[in-house]
Amino acid sequence: MDDFVEHKMKFVDFVCFKAIIPELKSRNRDDVIAELVSALDKAGRLGNGNCEEITKAVIKREDEASTGMGKGVAVPHVKHQVVKDVVAAIGQSSTGIDFSALDKQPVYSVILIISPVDEPDKHLQAMENVFKHLQQDRFRKFLRQSREPDQIEDLLREADESPSW
Amino acid sequence: MQPGEDTLEKVVCEAEVQIKNADGLHMRPAMQFVDVANQFDCDVTVSNGETNVDGKSIMQMSMLAATCGTKLKIKAEGADAQQAINALQELVEGKHFDEPTPTEQGKN
Amino acid sequence: MEIKKGIAVSPGISIARSLIIDSEDYRIPRRSINPSQRMIEIQRARNAFKDAIKELTQLEAGQESKEQRKIKDIFAVHLRFLHDRSLRKKITDLVHLESVTAEYAVSATLREIASHFTNVKDTYISERAADIYDIERRLLRRLLGQKREDVEHLTEEVAIVARELSPTQTAGFDKRYVKGLATDAGGRTSHTAIVARSLGIPAVVALEDLTEIVSGGDTVIIDGNRGIVIVNPDSETVRQYEEYSQEFAELEHKLDAIREKPAVTRDGVRITLLGNIEFPDEAELVLQKGGEGIGLYRTEFLYLNRESEPTEQDHYRAYAETISVFKHRPVIIRTVDLGADKYTQSKRFAPEPNPFLGLRSIRFCLQNLMMFKAQLRAVLRASVLGEVKIMFPLITNVAELMQAKMILRDVMEDLDEESIAYNKDIQVGIMIETPSAALMASTLARDVDFFSIGTNDLTQYTLAVDRGNELVSTLYSSVDPAVLRLIRTVVQDAHKAQIDVHVCGEMASEPEYIMLLLGMGVRTISLASPMMPEVKQIVRSVTMEDCNNLVRKVLGMNSERQIAGFLRNAARRILPEAF
Repeated sequence: MDDFVEHKMKFVDFVCFKAIIPELKSRNRDDVIAELVSALDKAGRLGNGNCEEITKAVIKREDEASTGMGKGVAVPHVKHQVVKDVVAAIGQSSTGIDFSALDKQPVYSVILIISPVDEPDKHLQAMENVFKHLQQDRFRKFLRQSREPDQIEDLLREADESPSW
Repeated sequence: MQPGEDTLEKVVCEAEVQIKNADGLHMRPAMQFVDVANQFDCDVTVSNGETNVDGKSIMQMSMLAATCGTKLKIKAEGADAQQAINALQELVEGKHFDEPTPTEQGKN
Repeated sequence: MEIKKGIAVSPGISIARSLIIDSEDYRIPRRSINPSQRMIEIQRARNAFKDAIKELTQLEAGQESKEQRKIKDIFAVHLRFLHDRSLRKKITDLVHLESVTAEYAVSATLREIASHFTNVKDTYISERAADIYDIERRLLRRLLGQKREDVEHLTEEVAIVARELSPTQTAGFDKRYVKGLATDAGGRTSHTAIVARSLGIPAVVALEDLTEIVSGGDTVIIDGNRGIVIVNPDSETVRQYEEYSQEFAELEHKLDAIREKPAVTRDGVRITLLGNIEFPDEAELVLQKGGEGIGLYRTEFLYLNRESEPTEQDHYRAYAETISVFKHRPVIIRTVDLGADKYTQSKRFAPEPNPFLGLRSIRFCLQNLMMFKAQLRAVLRASVLGEVKIMFPLITNVAELMQAKMILRDVMEDLDEESIAYNKDIQVGIMIETPSAALMASTLARDVDFFSIGTNDLTQYTLAVDRGNELVSTLYSSVDPAVLRLIRTVVQDAHKAQIDVHVCGEMASEPEYIMLLLGMGVRTISLASPMMPEVKQIVRSVTMEDCNNLVRKVLGMNSERQIAGFLRNAARRILPEAF
């Protein structure tokens, strides 16, 4: 277990930089999920015509157990056979969205993750990375302050470079 | 006096020295002391008033564990006793083991 | 014969030969030899010196740069030592006069020299004793061979003597042979105390310099009742202790007789007693002592004392073995609570300056999801074998809980895809062991099935005291009013949310605190098996009304000493023979 030699999933490995939405149009949970899935679809990462099916799957999972981790962050995710590798979209809402988070607070940053069906390790590694950075107050703050997609992209790349944020 | 015997003088020299370096007679100075003492043929004994130790043995010298300010009596017995005493005195009080004294240390 | 006084942390008497573990796990196996062997031992000593000198010469030569000068000096001094005639003479004289092994002679001689250093008031000089111990280690390494003799290959009964004992070291203890523990350091809730109580063997800690006066093979009496250790006792003392030991065993037997009786207060309130265990083979003992299940199954031992990480199957086997003993009674498995120990620190790129407040426990797991997943999979798979519950340690905020539960769900999904059976309704709980968790208990209660209050860590974090630090261990107290207030808050929040709340820290095995816990609303207690009969006896001797009254009085007190004294008196009245 070499936690400094193993090649972990960095943000650049799975975040689709074309699917970053600094200000989400949607105001409620289900629409936000649809918006993010659509962004990944437009970026060509979800094959053909799978948008609706994937959106439904994410919402269904979210209904069963909220991914609102508290501190204004949610990580809705689902496994689907159409993706060969872990892929994620990031969306922000300055007004906040109700994700039924345990701390009852609104969610300002949403990271939607779609993982391949047979690669549980990669999914976990991506989650590990997400957890690690979202735990940091600084990271969350910078994320919320970013107004442009490339600001967010820079933030993610920088986070990848720091050894132990 | 018989011919062939007692041709070497049994010289006995003594001196009192005081430990001047701030950290006292810890391992490294003890090692230096022992190294110098071993350069001479004479016997070297060191006393702190309570115990007498062999000045050529690192084990015994380090047991003295003398702190800064402690006075030690060095006794050398043998032909080169005087040279030994001089060398040891120089080491302890002259050079104080090439280590800082309390005043010097305080300046840092 | 020498008598040393320390702190008694686990009851009982043991009379056995000592086995000394130092921080490098070296044991001095034997002391005495047949006089005909003396020349062989002297030769062994000579060879050890020769080898050590060769080793040091090479090491010294290797220190070239300016920064390494200091190290070079140290090696130079050590070399002088090894060349010193009077040192060798002392050692060979000892072998000759007392017919002892080379390692015993080396160890005894060097320790005597070291004690001259430690007795000097000047700290700089007294710290040089460390150099002497270093030389001792170097020689012992030669004498005892490259392969370290470790505690796992015992063939006779021993009492372990050490400066202190870490989880890594104790994980290898074979309780058939380890009969007692005695350490220089430690306090009432040190790891040594916890392990001794789990194994049901006597232990005395905080003996300060026991390791300096005991040599491997010396007979020691460990009196875990009075907190005394006697080194090389004379025959009269041994006889007295054997008698005393017999009486004590009889008292234990009496308490064991209530094993079958239920833990019910005199006015009919039922209390559940569960066991704290670390190894599967402790499960039987829990049943024997009257426990109704496992309230805390510490899983760290699977990671300690091993070369490689345990596999999912290793986990599963351990869990299955434990569950098979309990069948339909609850077994609460706590996910790994590693951190601030050799296992995690050695894996880090740079050691943490403050591991106690660092990446440990659940945080460590969330940063090592492969490892976490392996354990969760094993627990889930084992959940079909009985009534298994999962417990996450050191949850300090909602986010951590959500993350842990998210991973659990993901792992469940994986098992679904692989068509592997598990209990989909497995209960998930958390340990409340930090002030933040205690204060947020009402929020956390919404998303878990039960709480387990870890009073050890809760007390440490609340009072900012390291229970293992002998300089401040007297400040540690589970009945400090601040800690009691937090416990009360947690219990009330749990009741409001209608979830179970257990107490599983050492507090649960202190007879003096049982009435307090009951009066605060705790109905389930999890503790190490040796104390179960006594705790059950107390439960059966009190009324809930008494407990409630007691709590009312205690909550009006502001001083820990007042509270502790009050509780002690109350307990004495109930169960005089135990105090």
